[in-house]
Amino acid sequence: MKAWLKFSPDITNKSIISDTIKSYDIDFNILRANITPKGGKLLVEISGNQVDESIGYMESQGISVDPIKKVVRKEEEKCVDCGACVSLCPVKAISVSDDWTILVDDQLCIGCAFCTSSCPMKAIKITE
Amino acid sequence: MKTIKEINQKIETGDAVVLTAAEMTTFVEQNGVEAAAEEIDVVTTGTFGAMCSSGAFLNFGHSDPPIKMNKTYLNNVEAYSGLAAVDAYIGATQLNRNPQIGMDYGGSHLIEDLIRGKEIDLAVEAYGTDCYPRKEIETTITLDKLNQAVMMNPRNCYQNYAVATNSTEETLYTYMGTLLPHFGNVSYSSAGQLSPLLNDPYFETIGMGTRIFLCGGEGYVISEGTQHSTGAERRNGVPISGSGTLMLMGDMKKMSSDFVRGATMQKYGPTLYVGAGIPIPVLNEDIARRTAISDEDIVCQVVDYGVPRRSRPVIRETNYKELKTGKIEINGVEVNASPLSSYKKAEEIADELKAWITKGNFFLTEPVRKVPSEGYTVNPLEIKKPSTLVKNLESKPVIRAYPTEGISDVAKKLVDNNINHLPVVDESGKLRGIVTSWDIANAIAKGKTKLNDVMTKRVIIAREDEPVDLVARRIDKHEISGLPIVDKDNKVKGMITAEDISRLIGKEKNNNEVCE
Repeated sequence: MKAWLKFSPDITNKSIISDTIKSYDIDFNILRANITPKGGKLLVEISGNQVDESIGYMESQGISVDPIKKVVRKEEEKCVDCGACVSLCPVKAISVSDDWTILVDDQLCIGCAFCTSSCPMKAIKITE
Repeated sequence: MKTIKEINQKIETGDAVVLTAAEMTTFVEQNGVEAAAEEIDVVTTGTFGAMCSSGAFLNFGHSDPPIKMNKTYLNNVEAYSGLAAVDAYIGATQLNRNPQIGMDYGGSHLIEDLIRGKEIDLAVEAYGTDCYPRKEIETTITLDKLNQAVMMNPRNCYQNYAVATNSTEETLYTYMGTLLPHFGNVSYSSAGQLSPLLNDPYFETIGMGTRIFLCGGEGYVISEGTQHSTGAERRNGVPISGSGTLMLMGDMKKMSSDFVRGATMQKYGPTLYVGAGIPIPVLNEDIARRTAISDEDIVCQVVDYGVPRRSRPVIRETNYKELKTGKIEINGVEVNASPLSSYKKAEEIADELKAWITKGNFFLTEPVRKVPSEGYTVNPLEIKKPSTLVKNLESKPVIRAYPTEGISDVAKKLVDNNINHLPVVDESGKLRGIVTSWDIANAIAKGKTKLNDVMTKRVIIAREDEPVDLVARRIDKHEISGLPIVDKDNKVKGMITAEDISRLIGKEKNNNEVCE
């Protein structure tokens, strides 16, 4: 699952994330990070057998966890299945199917928006 | 041997055998050329890609009192109306006159909206004459109210095309799409084995008057397109670069937005995605063999768009089978390849045209004059006054700074020489950074004392043998005010600033005035 983790300034110097990873044996991939004196925001992808437990732990330590439902969407009406976006995606979230339809995988998308600005038809939208 | 007349008789009776170019490739692989020439009557092709050289003639009808349209805007996109009173040509790449919209809604989007039947704002300015007294119009129109709306595209259906990549350190935004730095991706634009002119590479059947599928309606080939060229190297009978082109026309009132779309190439501008399909009559074995060409047999060249000159270097050759795997190798590294034209739409077009012919709704035509297959070259535009090279600019002796120098010494150099930029070099004169008077002010504000800590180390440079125009574009793009000139050993030869360039332009203008 993908989620935004928000830290308040008073907990930024605690090692909550590494404790979580060790305790719950989860894969923890940081997709984006933004840390300021007013606190921090991390976009992360978490997977493993104890995802729910790990989220419960992080929340108990003061991190607010906001799961992301859908990140990227292709507007079928606008898309002409050209494929200009495919080679621009850094995480291979966009692929070409056997019948040359362009498929966008919102599970893999990290929301970099390279495809949205480069799409000739402006057919890809990122919503959170 | 068959004739077009015989094929049309079969179409009439519903007996014509039609395959798409992709199906023909498989058919010939399995049954051979002889059987194909015997059994197959028509091969349909298709392509759906960005074709900038497109547009439409519109006739608005006369208002009362009448007007001679001088400046004509459709949804704020200018249509050229230097024709008779109420005729105009809307070009696909024309930008919006509202700078806030600019590239996001241009001629191509307007063409799509007209075809969709949307209401379009029409604004006209005129100077007024005795016969056309009116001086302005503001109203709305729709496609069905126009007397004529004829799509007329000077150059479509490029026979083959370069595959674009980018060797430079920065992302490039081109008509071939976004090209990532350091050969980060490649972009290609051809329907390959489905592409019209790759299936009739010697123009044996296509010419003036050939009836075609154009944007969902019936269209015609007018002639060879602009920049048509016949001299390109061929491999397996097909050219490995651009080569042949077609000029096309069709009635916009019969078109469908399923097969024509307005688009914007990021930071490049609007372009029109045109859907075109050409039927190829299988008159003999030679034609059958050529329509059976496969993606693997169509060779194309990967070209470095990082070199902004007319002749761009070829990095390697590839073919459409390899490109369609989504990966090709450049300098030993696997690079993602993606198409700019839609193969899915190209297939839909070839299928649609096949259905039209099979159902007896579309007949083939004998061209009045075939597209020429020899004797055409593309001439470059020679600029009478050669462009000024960086090394031809008058420049003052270059002042240099060294990384170990103190801030106050550097400040003194800037003030004494009345300059704002200093290249920073090592003992051998090689470029290590650049420092501006702003960097010095910044260093003092932050209490820094060593030049090495405040200079910019990633420096935008100019080469001695580059045209000044390229440097001017670089200054503009990176929003900088000056850059060092370096030789091939990275040694600093001078500085070029925005002021140097404006002085040069000023001088050119003055010289021209003297000549007049």
